[in-house]
Amino acid sequence: MGEKKEDAGMADAYHEKPADLETWSGLPLKEFYSPDDISGFDYKMKIGNPGDYPYTRGIHRNMFRGRYWTRREVSGYGTPEDTNERLKYLVAEGASGLNVIPDNPSIMGIDSDHPRASGEVGVQGVPMCTLQDMELLMRDMPLEKISMSLIASSTQTPVALSQYIALAQSKGFKPGDLAGTTQNDPVHCRYAGFRISSPIDLALKTGVDVIEYCTRHMPRWYPINVNMYDLREQGLTAPQELAFGFSMAILYIQGVLERGLDIDEFAPRFAFYCSAHIDFFEEIAKLRAARRIWAKIMKERFGAKDPRSWKFKFGVHTAGCSLVPHQARNNIIRVAYQALAAVLAGVQSLHCCSYDEPIALPTEESVRLAIRTQQILAYETGVARVADPLGGSYYIESLTEQIEHEAVRIMEAIDGKGGMKDALESGWIDAQMDEASLRYQREVENEDRIVVGLNRFRIEEDPRAGDAHRVNPEAERLQVSRLKLLKESRDENAVKESLREIKLRAEAGEHENLIPAMIEAARNYATLAEVLGTVRVAMGEPYDPFEIVSHPFF
Amino acid sequence: MASGRHVRIMIAKLGLDGHDRGAKVLASLLRAEGYEVIYLGLYNTPEMLIQSAIQEDVDMVGISFHSGEHLTLTPLVMQELHKQEADDLPVIIGGIIPPEDEEKLLEMGVSRVFRGSLAREVIEYLDDYFSTKGP
Repeated sequence: MGEKKEDAGMADAYHEKPADLETWSGLPLKEFYSPDDISGFDYKMKIGNPGDYPYTRGIHRNMFRGRYWTRREVSGYGTPEDTNERLKYLVAEGASGLNVIPDNPSIMGIDSDHPRASGEVGVQGVPMCTLQDMELLMRDMPLEKISMSLIASSTQTPVALSQYIALAQSKGFKPGDLAGTTQNDPVHCRYAGFRISSPIDLALKTGVDVIEYCTRHMPRWYPINVNMYDLREQGLTAPQELAFGFSMAILYIQGVLERGLDIDEFAPRFAFYCSAHIDFFEEIAKLRAARRIWAKIMKERFGAKDPRSWKFKFGVHTAGCSLVPHQARNNIIRVAYQALAAVLAGVQSLHCCSYDEPIALPTEESVRLAIRTQQILAYETGVARVADPLGGSYYIESLTEQIEHEAVRIMEAIDGKGGMKDALESGWIDAQMDEASLRYQREVENEDRIVVGLNRFRIEEDPRAGDAHRVNPEAERLQVSRLKLLKESRDENAVKESLREIKLRAEAGEHENLIPAMIEAARNYATLAEVLGTVRVAMGEPYDPFEIVSHPFF
Repeated sequence: MASGRHVRIMIAKLGLDGHDRGAKVLASLLRAEGYEVIYLGLYNTPEMLIQSAIQEDVDMVGISFHSGEHLTLTPLVMQELHKQEADDLPVIIGGIIPPEDEEKLLEMGVSRVFRGSLAREVIEYLDDYFSTKGP
């Protein structure tokens, strides 16, 4: 494993030079960049000051002087009570926003007592079957004061949102009092491993319902976070990440426009979730290019007139796929560079991976280290003092332009295939992903790409040296027995009636928003599977994506 | 790799975990090395996996775990193998596995655990394994 190169001696090491002179994504680079490379750039039109169209340099004039980026860490494991404990810990440690991720059964819209949920409850996230789970998850949390991010991304999203609203209403708050985010990008879930539960029509229907409802009733809520990050994790290049992500965003936009909303009513609350991968300058250029592309899409393609619609707002998740289990502490350094790139690019919200993620669920210690990484950036390095500090660099501006150009070219190719829906259904997007991930892996195998500790500089490690975080082994049993008790004690007729209402509305047509009926169903303790399954059946899908369980009532 | 008939390997994901990039890439790279790979895809149960493996008469089963279910699902795979009287079918595991779990998995009867390894390490292992044993 790379020993030959390491044994080649000091002379070789001394003379070693970079073998790879393209960006991570394969964009060609020059030896250096000069004023000639940006001579044709009209500063005002193309770059602009921070806070000015096309927002290449950032969406705020004073950037972090106005407010630091939100430091969020994802949590979700065990029972809702276990996750509640973790949330309180994070708040005490200084996290300024909360991020909760559901477990796999919940993401797929099945309940903890589903036969296929066995062994999965509370493993990769927290179960969110009913309002009761939401009550336990949010216990002692001041709902009106916190900014809550429900990483409900799948077709489960409208149900999770309805549970959250029903909880707030039971405490005397209105939907409009709540601040936060739903990720709500169910179309992309087919690439996050949930294709079986994300048929495109259902995904678009639930996604658009959430955006429409939040636009009309929840002015402090960000209803959608288009997840470019998960797409990138499939092995895509930086320009592909932008092109595929924007093309998905356009699908939702078209759906919401068809509901009769004006672009400027909802576009200001659109947000994105991007990757910060390991190629430092390329990632900064990518995020700057994303702002310019979005501004143009909004202004030129959709005719948005409100400057707030033109502003690309994004969170960053440092690239999980760039981390390796070998010499795992090296990941701390990878994450720090990626976080720095995100901050230099003007990020709004940042999640740093924990260094042990390629080994297991993060421990408290490693999550703390991820938060500390952000705090050192914010409070010690001084990088947050001036907006877009790299703006005007010949190299950064050229690379931003290159990435914009390539991303726009790919988006045009997608339009040429009849738009994103066709590109998804025909398998074209899948083929692009498979090709990209295979190309990357071949390069790593051949050492055309060096991954320190993996294909070079490997050492023998002690296999017993772990201290992996373990999920409460009792979580599943507790959760399933509680769900059983709840089902026995709730008002069955009320559940049935509220599901019937959902069914009627879903059958009334795609434009009928189902969220009000889902809130009522949540209040009656209808389960996730019952609510979503009712919608699935009305849309011609099986009640259960696995086709094992049938509808309990009709 | 061994001459004669192609070595057949089944690669699968178990449970609800959808992280399939590694499994798919490994399947492609093994095919490029001359292995016959049947990629069973997502959402398999241990029963589904072992039944398919027996039906397809594979020489080895590879399972990719990324969400912490390896300790709960692997024993079920081994039980199923035993039930089907196929205890001699070797099982290898890869993915996100805490180092201290490696020994537990080996004790359960798993032949080899790859923790975020390169494909060439898996290929090296397979070449070696099948050159001594044959398919």
